[in-house]
Amino acid sequence: MDIIDLSWWQLGIGFLILIIPAWILWRYKTGLNKKLGIATVRMTLQLLFVGYYLEYLFELDNAWLNAAWIMIMVLVADFATIDRSELNRKKSLLIPIFAATFFGIIVIDMFFLEAVIQLPKFLAAQYTIPITGMVLGNCLRSNVIGINAFYYSLNEHQERYRFYLCCGATRSEAVFPFFQDALKKSANPTLASMATIGLVSLPGMMTGQILSGSSPLIAIKYQIMIMLAIFSGTVLSVYLGIKLSNRFVFYDNDVLDSSILKD
Amino acid sequence: MSSGLFNIQNIHFRYDDESVFEDFSVEINQGEKIAIKGESGSGKTTLFRILLGFEHPEKGNILYQGESYSTDTIHKLRKEVAWLPQDLNLGSGNTSELVDFIFEFQHNIESKPSRSKLVETLNQLGLGEDTLDSKFSDLSTGQRQRVGLATCFLLNKKVLLLDEPTSALDEQSKQKVTDLILQDNITVISTSHDPWWVKRCDRIIELENYG
Repeated sequence: MDIIDLSWWQLGIGFLILIIPAWILWRYKTGLNKKLGIATVRMTLQLLFVGYYLEYLFELDNAWLNAAWIMIMVLVADFATIDRSELNRKKSLLIPIFAATFFGIIVIDMFFLEAVIQLPKFLAAQYTIPITGMVLGNCLRSNVIGINAFYYSLNEHQERYRFYLCCGATRSEAVFPFFQDALKKSANPTLASMATIGLVSLPGMMTGQILSGSSPLIAIKYQIMIMLAIFSGTVLSVYLGIKLSNRFVFYDNDVLDSSILKD
Repeated sequence: MSSGLFNIQNIHFRYDDESVFEDFSVEINQGEKIAIKGESGSGKTTLFRILLGFEHPEKGNILYQGESYSTDTIHKLRKEVAWLPQDLNLGSGNTSELVDFIFEFQHNIESKPSRSKLVETLNQLGLGEDTLDSKFSDLSTGQRQRVGLATCFLLNKKVLLLDEPTSALDEQSKQKVTDLILQDNITVISTSHDPWWVKRCDRIIELENYG
């Protein structure tokens, strides 16, 4: 069966459902209604913009243009990671985290798009943009958890870190337990969703493919691939994000530059 | 050129507007047992941080074994000097794993003790083998401190910076700690309010409060 297109009028009706959560949030004085309004408007405008832009990208289907779009997405994710990790926008963080996310995405894209799917056209928009977007969205979430856990835990337990240094540890040996903890915290949500996928929820990508007429078997193959890509991409970008930023956020005496942390 | 182990020369240090040291000087020699006394805020902890290279004085000079502090000197001294905070927190894991982790550092691999040697050292400090199988976070402050001391001792450190080493110990444990660490070849620099401990040190350094 072909997909049923939604008219703008039908989509408008869909917004009416927000009356229910808005009433509940208002009734319990959560103060979230203004946030709900802003979030709804932002979501709608952002997706409208992306929808029109993607139409244009798909039509042109130019590898350079697609690569530029990926760069912009990584740049936005870079700022969002630092802001949501409660860190300050300093060069010592922005550049390493951008490099880590970008490198992570390149590795995952090259492997899955070119080696696994074997696109007939290099960086074909129809595959590159949605898959990169899904991996990047998850990298962003994991980076926020991992990078925040690493730097705030290190700052909170400075005495432990310094004790290790005074026991003869190099800086990278002394941060090891904090690194380990950050990796665990950032990888756990994706591992949990991998363990329950299909049982508790039907993932978005698979749902989208089935809605657009793909067979469920094709949809699950893509879904398995995307889960592998997401997990590998998130672990790689958290690892690189911490590893690379570590080179720039410590003074020569191994003390963490606490100005990277928000007060 | 000084022959002292540490030579602090006319240092000035402040946190924001609060002066901690003004023209402070002291020399510490190899093998000395020193107790640093002073009111809260007088800079005892800051002095340790400065000695370990975690803080830099705004004026003055510090020498370690005659060498002025530089990144290399700081890294060298951290391999030779152990520091034990008053309330050691190594995380929530098993004590034995947390101690093992320290001996897995590249610099310490060769001094990794056997379990029996570790138990023997803990026994010398009045702790049983069961300490190793307990969660570190479940140990009392005094037990954690002694595990830390045993670790520093097994790392063969000849200079110990101890923050209130007897504050959480009973008389019997204090004696055991003293017997183990107040040896001729070990330099001990400690902060302490405990008259029992201070009496056993060679020299007392009183810090003024500039705050």
